[in-house]
Amino acid sequence: MKPIETKQEYSDYVDKKSPNSPILKNCFNAFWVGGLICSIGQILFDFCQYKGMDETSCSTVVSIVLIGIAAILTGLNIFNKIGKFAGAGSLVPITGFANSIVSPAIEYKSEGYVMGVGGKMFTVAGPVLVFGISASVIIGIIATFFS
Amino acid sequence: MKHVGTQTILFDNPPTILETSSIVGPKESEGPLAKYFDQCLDDEFWGEKTWEKAESKIIKENVNAVVAKSGIAATDIQYCFAGDLLNQCISSSFGLRELNVPFFGVFGACSTFVESLCLGSVFVEAGAATNVLCATSSHFCSAEKQFRFPLELGNQRPQSAQWTVTGSGAAIVSNSRNRSIYYLYDPWKNC
Repeated sequence: MKPIETKQEYSDYVDKKSPNSPILKNCFNAFWVGGLICSIGQILFDFCQYKGMDETSCSTVVSIVLIGIAAILTGLNIFNKIGKFAGAGSLVPITGFANSIVSPAIEYKSEGYVMGVGGKMFTVAGPVLVFGISASVIIGIIATFFS
Repeated sequence: MKHVGTQTILFDNPPTILETSSIVGPKESEGPLAKYFDQCLDDEFWGEKTWEKAESKIIKENVNAVVAKSGIAATDIQYCFAGDLLNQCISSSFGLRELNVPFFGVFGACSTFVESLCLGSVFVEAGAATNVLCATSSHFCSAEKQFRFPLELGNQRPQSAQWTVTGSGAAIVSNSRNRSIYYLYDPWKNC
């Protein structure tokens, strides 16, 4: 075998040697689990509308219920198994966001409630919040001047 | 003892490993090497409240085991070289505290154990000690917490992802000058 000299050669070598993820299977699992989560959300939404709520309240109730379910499943050590199976299917909906906040809270509980749970809770979701909120503030300012 | 080549130390009286001991976690116990380990745990916590405390207990019990197996008293061990993956090498420093042997903390990630053996051998060969203890530990859960993501996070690992060992290994390196040892293979015969 000829010696590996550049970073690119090494990276190619690693790609050649390491087994690939089963993309088709992963996509299929992500598709149906993600679809199922969204369907549950839609059923809840329709149920709320049936009970006579307006559209904004319905969306809020759906978000709260899905976050609640994801948080409880994370605490019961079930959500990570779903996530391992479904990948982006459970990570992209709001359930993934709930999981990314609850899991560090559980993990760092051993370091105390203030500096552990409080301080480390946003280690995974923090960047999403910082850039999401920053982006919305900037868009808001632009919208104020140009509308 | 002299320096040869660019990165090699040639010992006059090569120190020997007097005794070794190992404790591993549940996943390692399921593997093909399970029969070679001294103790296999079936609980990642081993009765402790946190993973860091569990790791500390693993190295503590393992060091006690190697000292007991070797038949020499803990007071006959002059120095101890050990390390782990956590901040400030906490599991080693807390685990070895009760042994009352001067402790050098070593950090080399995967190479910590070999690094301890190298440093320990030089100490023994130089005459600074007759017996040194070399040890290391790691814990899958505490390493994931320190370097990667929380365990409960629902993400997928790549097919080639690595798995940090839960366990500890320890060896006593000792001076061979007063002991009759048969060298089956002497790599320095022609030096």
